[in-house]
Amino acid sequence: MDLFANLAHGFSVALTLNNLMFCLIGCLIGTAIGVLPGIGPVATISLLLPITFGQPATTAIIMLAGIYYGAQYGGSTTAILLNLPGEVSSVVTTLEGYKMARNGRAGAALTVAALGSFFAGTVSTLVVAASGPLLTSVALSFGPADYFSLMFLGLVISAVLAQGSVVKSIGMVTLGVSLGMVGTDVQTGQQRFTFGIPELSDGVGFASMAMGMFGIAEIISNLERPEARSVMSGKIGKLMMTREEFKRATPAVLRGTLVGTMLGILPGGGAALSSFGSYMMERKVSKGRHEFGTGAIEGVAGPESANNAASQTSFIPLLTLGIPANAVMALMVGALIIQGIQPGPRMVEAQPDLFWGLIASMWVGNLMLLVINLPMIGMWVKLLAVPYRYMYPSIMIFCAIGIYSLQNNVFDVYQTALFGVFGYMASKLRLEAAPMLIGFVLGPMMEEHLRRAMLLSRGDAMVFFERPISATMLGIAAIALIAMLLPALRKGKDSALQEGG
Amino acid sequence: MKLNTKDLLSAALLISLAAAGLWLNMDHTLGTARRMGPGYMPALSFGLLLFLGIGVLLLGLFNGPDPIKMWTPAEWGFLFAGAVIGTTAGMMAGGMSGWIGQGWNPLGIGLFVGCMVASVVKSWRPLFLITAAFCLFGLVLETLGLMASITLAVVLSAFADETHHPKGVVGLVIFLCALCWAVFIWELDIRVPVWPVF
Repeated sequence: MDLFANLAHGFSVALTLNNLMFCLIGCLIGTAIGVLPGIGPVATISLLLPITFGQPATTAIIMLAGIYYGAQYGGSTTAILLNLPGEVSSVVTTLEGYKMARNGRAGAALTVAALGSFFAGTVSTLVVAASGPLLTSVALSFGPADYFSLMFLGLVISAVLAQGSVVKSIGMVTLGVSLGMVGTDVQTGQQRFTFGIPELSDGVGFASMAMGMFGIAEIISNLERPEARSVMSGKIGKLMMTREEFKRATPAVLRGTLVGTMLGILPGGGAALSSFGSYMMERKVSKGRHEFGTGAIEGVAGPESANNAASQTSFIPLLTLGIPANAVMALMVGALIIQGIQPGPRMVEAQPDLFWGLIASMWVGNLMLLVINLPMIGMWVKLLAVPYRYMYPSIMIFCAIGIYSLQNNVFDVYQTALFGVFGYMASKLRLEAAPMLIGFVLGPMMEEHLRRAMLLSRGDAMVFFERPISATMLGIAAIALIAMLLPALRKGKDSALQEGG
Repeated sequence: MKLNTKDLLSAALLISLAAAGLWLNMDHTLGTARRMGPGYMPALSFGLLLFLGIGVLLLGLFNGPDPIKMWTPAEWGFLFAGAVIGTTAGMMAGGMSGWIGQGWNPLGIGLFVGCMVASVVKSWRPLFLITAAFCLFGLVLETLGLMASITLAVVLSAFADETHHPKGVVGLVIFLCALCWAVFIWELDIRVPVWPVF
């Protein structure tokens, strides 16, 4: 089988000492930020972008991916033990997990979360491996019009699924696209919106925007809120599950894996959405549904499997189409582009080391996380004893050095500071930063495909509706938009996201 | 009418950015749909942004109330003073010769001074002291070196959180200097002066 030969090749890449080490570093950092509230994967990955540049592209992506799925593991630990979600995707885990901990079953909850995540990670890694080449061959038949419509759909869905007002989120997406226009026009070489600043001729700094809006703005918002951290009181207890718990958790893990795998592929989806989706499902269909609210193990097993599965499968649109499904994936696109690799359907063939190595490393990373999390859980909980007043200057300094070292230019530092202020303002006004980042990454690509499509069609805009793939994408986008304007559905989404983060 | 203050302010922000973008875009040739010029896509995206901004504005008139905490006169005053003094300082620095007027230093000085003025008011400190510390780091990095920049930025940012103790800050500075040296100089070997250069 081709798949196994390719996977074998992937493991030969992933198991080199250097890649193994960076995978471990990524998983450790991911777990740490998963445990710590107040710093998420988006901020961390943008913070660490500059550090990865000295490494080959494959190593860099392996480490950054490790941070992302590592955070999903780590987030569940504090959710269960302290009722404190480290990441948005573990918000629902607090509902049942913390109750289980209070019933003295914290150990079982942690075990099922870790084992479920590992199982989900294994399955979804296989899904990525199997569907990658398949989708790639489909993607190669895409014309520029299809690409444009696909990106358009991605932007619409990422805005529709964002928290709060849909119109505002679409506004932020559009603002991101508009900011993507800054810099040299690719076809004519004309400078656009640069104010004669040479540093802007390559466009607004992607890393500056990500660090400012997710790193610096987060620090400021966290400092304004008084710190509320409880110290762990209860005991973890035995890590072993009882036979009955195991029996109940198994179907929940299977269902969670399925939900997460599907929702992860969706543009704008990802970990938070799928853990909530799985929780809702378990509450309806699982055998222990009458126990929900008092510490049902299904309520931990399902969502935890789902968020890990989703964090793996959200790589599919990136690796096959070059289109980021969420803000973390937008950062990955940025990392690849800075490394000189254009993400897209040709990546599987042009960069087999990267593609298969990443997939194999995901599985290796999941295995590492199992070891990192279960026996060493006490160590991670101690991390919470570090007060925020020591964390924020460290984050700030790392941001500052990192952004400077990108181009050895202090202009980037000031640019980041300005984005920090803007990001703070946006969060006060409930304007979402994540859609803006995705729009910013997709904007220049959309312009290129739009121009090419219109040139090929001799200026006839009907091309977007005549090509079947393109028409389908636009149709789905239209349905998504109309659906969200219906008040009943919007209310459902808002309450869902409020609970689910 | 139930005014939604947050939405109205968001709308103002989006509309003004769109208007500025469209105005700046007048310099670029639009081209035709078949052969798009450099101004075509910006016109589309900023135009859509304007349209959406107006949409947020109209919705904001009815879907409230969502009030925003009003700023006190002191907050207003020092914010305004910071903007004015910062801009003036930046402009003046730009006209000077030597280190002050070099490269991006005028921008950094302007931002730093402006933020420092605004952070006189206690409630502005998280926002503007962090920003000021960040700018200060950029300002002194190339002349005073990495160690001094870390020290200055950390000490300044420490004032944004009242729970800091002097001892803790000293420990943090030593820890961060050592860590950053190990990661960025020893391991990654980035090209940045570590100690002051004169």
